[in-house]
Amino acid sequence: MTETQKVDTQKLVFMVLHGPDHPEHVTIPFVMGCAALASDVEVVLGFQADGVELVRAGVADGIQAPGFPPLAKLLRDYRDLGGSLLVCGPCINSRGITAADLIEGAEVVAAGRFIAEITSATNSLVY
Amino acid sequence: MPATATETELEAITADKIVDARGAACPGPLLEAKKGIGTVPVGAVIEIWSSDPVTKSDIGAWSGKVGHGFLGVLIADGYERVFVRRQK
Repeated sequence: MTETQKVDTQKLVFMVLHGPDHPEHVTIPFVMGCAALASDVEVVLGFQADGVELVRAGVADGIQAPGFPPLAKLLRDYRDLGGSLLVCGPCINSRGITAADLIEGAEVVAAGRFIAEITSATNSLVY
Repeated sequence: MPATATETELEAITADKIVDARGAACPGPLLEAKKGIGTVPVGAVIEIWSSDPVTKSDIGAWSGKVGHGFLGVLIADGYERVFVRRQK
């Protein structure tokens, strides 16, 4: 990576810990992620704890917080804009979720990968 | 980012592309603007129509962040017309 790229490249990590029972809490990181991607900022959404439920195939289809677009649309936009989806392996295991249950593009990872993403980011936020 | 064109100057602009984002909630108008500006050449102007009153400040901030020119806003009947010039 050149020095210029280091200066120009920004990355945000949004950690999503809430599940489908908190529509607004889980929608906002997608809103922020889409806005960041549209602003030429690299984005990683990391799902841990109940947040992993959101990347189960079909779950996002039933979530819409008042005043916001449906989560399924935001998820589609997020992926179309090139955002990453990282999912906590132990968190899906403890909930009986397998990698095959997840939406396309979701990558199952462990703590080391999250730490690498967070420590290399411009900033990280937890939802 | 402050507007760089006067109301009179904005009235005289014929946009190269109109992005109709009326009815879309945040971040819809911003994402539509991002898509729209990619379809016009550098130097061209897009006009985003939005019924969400926060869109103008959102598009202004976005323009400053990514390096486009925020020209300003005109009030229409029930919506706002936000003008951006593609600069890169």
